[in-house]
Amino acid sequence: MFKYHKGGSFKVFSEEDLKMIHEATVYLMENVGIKVYNAAARDIFKQAGATVDAEKGIVKIPRSMLESAIDSTPSRILLCGREEKNDLILEGTNTYLGTGGTVLYTLDLETGEKRLTEVRDVAQYARMTDYLDNAAFFVINCYPNDVPSEHVDINRFYHSLANTSKHVMGGIYTLEGLRSVIKMAEDIAGSKNKFLERPFLSFITLMISPMVMDDKYTDFLMEVARYGLPITTPSEPLAGATAPVTLAGTVTINNIETLGGLVLTQLINKGSPVLYGTTSSIVDMNIGTYMSGAIESALINAGCAQMAHYYNLPLYATGGMSDSKVVDAQAGYESAATAMVVALAGANYIHDAFGLLEFCNTLSYEKMVIDNEIVGMALRAVRGIEVSKETIAAGIIEQVGPGGQFFSHLHTARNVRKEFFFPKVSDRRPRQAWEEAGSPDAFERARIEARRILNEHKPLGFSEDMEKYLRETYPGIK
Amino acid sequence: MLDQIFQGVLDGETPIVQAEIKKALEGGISPLEIINEGLIKAMDEVGRRMKNGDMFMPEVLVAAETMKQGLALVKPLLEEGSYQSLGKVVIGTVAGDLHDIGKNLVAMLLESSGFEVIDLGVDVSLEQFLAAVEEHKPQLVGLSALLTTTMASMRDTVKALSEKAPGVKTMVGGAPVNQEFAREIGAGGYAPDGAAAVELAKSLID
Repeated sequence: MFKYHKGGSFKVFSEEDLKMIHEATVYLMENVGIKVYNAAARDIFKQAGATVDAEKGIVKIPRSMLESAIDSTPSRILLCGREEKNDLILEGTNTYLGTGGTVLYTLDLETGEKRLTEVRDVAQYARMTDYLDNAAFFVINCYPNDVPSEHVDINRFYHSLANTSKHVMGGIYTLEGLRSVIKMAEDIAGSKNKFLERPFLSFITLMISPMVMDDKYTDFLMEVARYGLPITTPSEPLAGATAPVTLAGTVTINNIETLGGLVLTQLINKGSPVLYGTTSSIVDMNIGTYMSGAIESALINAGCAQMAHYYNLPLYATGGMSDSKVVDAQAGYESAATAMVVALAGANYIHDAFGLLEFCNTLSYEKMVIDNEIVGMALRAVRGIEVSKETIAAGIIEQVGPGGQFFSHLHTARNVRKEFFFPKVSDRRPRQAWEEAGSPDAFERARIEARRILNEHKPLGFSEDMEKYLRETYPGIK
Repeated sequence: MLDQIFQGVLDGETPIVQAEIKKALEGGISPLEIINEGLIKAMDEVGRRMKNGDMFMPEVLVAAETMKQGLALVKPLLEEGSYQSLGKVVIGTVAGDLHDIGKNLVAMLLESSGFEVIDLGVDVSLEQFLAAVEEHKPQLVGLSALLTTTMASMRDTVKALSEKAPGVKTMVGGAPVNQEFAREIGAGGYAPDGAAAVELAKSLID
């Protein structure tokens, strides 16, 4: 089991607020509906009793259908790693953070230049995630530009699984790709049943804001739901552009969209595991483009986390990104503020919290290391302060007395490791020692650590036979 | 048993170390071997771990205290002259300064590394330092200051020691102190932290 803590101490909504948003959601689903471009999906909705306007593609979902789908969706989802120590339990306010994307570019670790991502980057980012102790899972964070598009899916998942035994989740590009990836997972697990028993990979689809279900992605959604693998149906309403500028309105739109996807999965395969999802944010009002590091994004995500808790649904959320183009102060404060807020809200599965820059377009190896520190601090805050006789330590205070010291007391030595967070990137040395080390700043220290990890870390990987078998069976693997 | 003593010191488990020492003695292991292969060896390991950042100061201090308690059990059993300390150090916080955590830490680390330490406490006047040097004949004097206002006392004390007891080496430390200041006031050496202080003391004595 991967370590986790219970968030949820930060709340943006009252009980009354949650009910109002839920009622608005029901009203809009019943009266306005969702535009569904996929004909097969429309049929499924229609057969289940939704009002469908085939001409306009509008599906109106009645309250009873929505509420019974929420009821039949599991409140607890197990996302496995290939090793049990990396298993995640998504329920209640259990809080985990991990990577996300999908980006086309990375800052090169050697030259610092922005370049297209390749298969080796998928592998290296997976390997780094495998090592970083605060990263709970690997959402495949980049696109391999050096393989033909029909081989993208198999390469993304193969190289991820080969380089981390943490849970792997990813988006999909083609239906054939999705099917090969599932087949490969069965080969690795030994059988379909074994794979479903311990799902070490899962998938992401998407909704389009406002209130649209895409044709192709809905195909993916239905395929995964039929199979019974965990899936998330996130939506990305942007406040002020594809959603009302008022954050409560944006949460409402997000709620409608992700629940729309969730209803479809339950109509296809009642009881199949689905994560409520949000990647919502805002647009910049000077240029009109999507922002990833905005504090409002964190608030919307915190709001969605509360909605998911209200429905007792596991949740896929977003936090810890920055819109800076380089790893600088902006990258640090935007990532820290957004990761902290969403983690304190108790979102279960907070993706995008590692390595992302520039509107979720560019990755940085150095920032992976820095974000591990940010996430460590956020998780420490989530953990809060433990209160017991032992931690209040009145007896120890009495023993030490006025004018004494606690530094060399046994109580300190025995409790310091669980009470304090120990940073690995932050420099806490006296100035002289820091100067003698060449006055390295955080970026430089992170670069050294990133190179060390990539040079030294050996992930679980595949056995020689398995690797040979997979490469022969799926020749598209680079 | 020596392995358990070694591990017990690392873990700061005083009762375990004491029990294992008794067992070792009953088993015929010599006191000197217990010290060298158990206690001192453990503190060497502590020093290594501290340097790598694998052990935190409070853990080091608890280990040092355990080592000291263990040493107290075996020391009386040693034959005269078979155990030699690395050297004698007089240590104190200079006049006007009541802060002693850093100084205590250095004293404990020096002691557990094999030095004999005479701790004069806090707010130690120039005259008290000179008198202690006269009485104990140390090779080293360690001076600590936390307040910038007491750095002048440090300067005066180092100066007086170099005039009145030229054979004794001085080492300085404390938050406002740095290498440059140490050089300027003519101190024998400066250490930024406890682990460095032990290394500095060893090198000054060589």
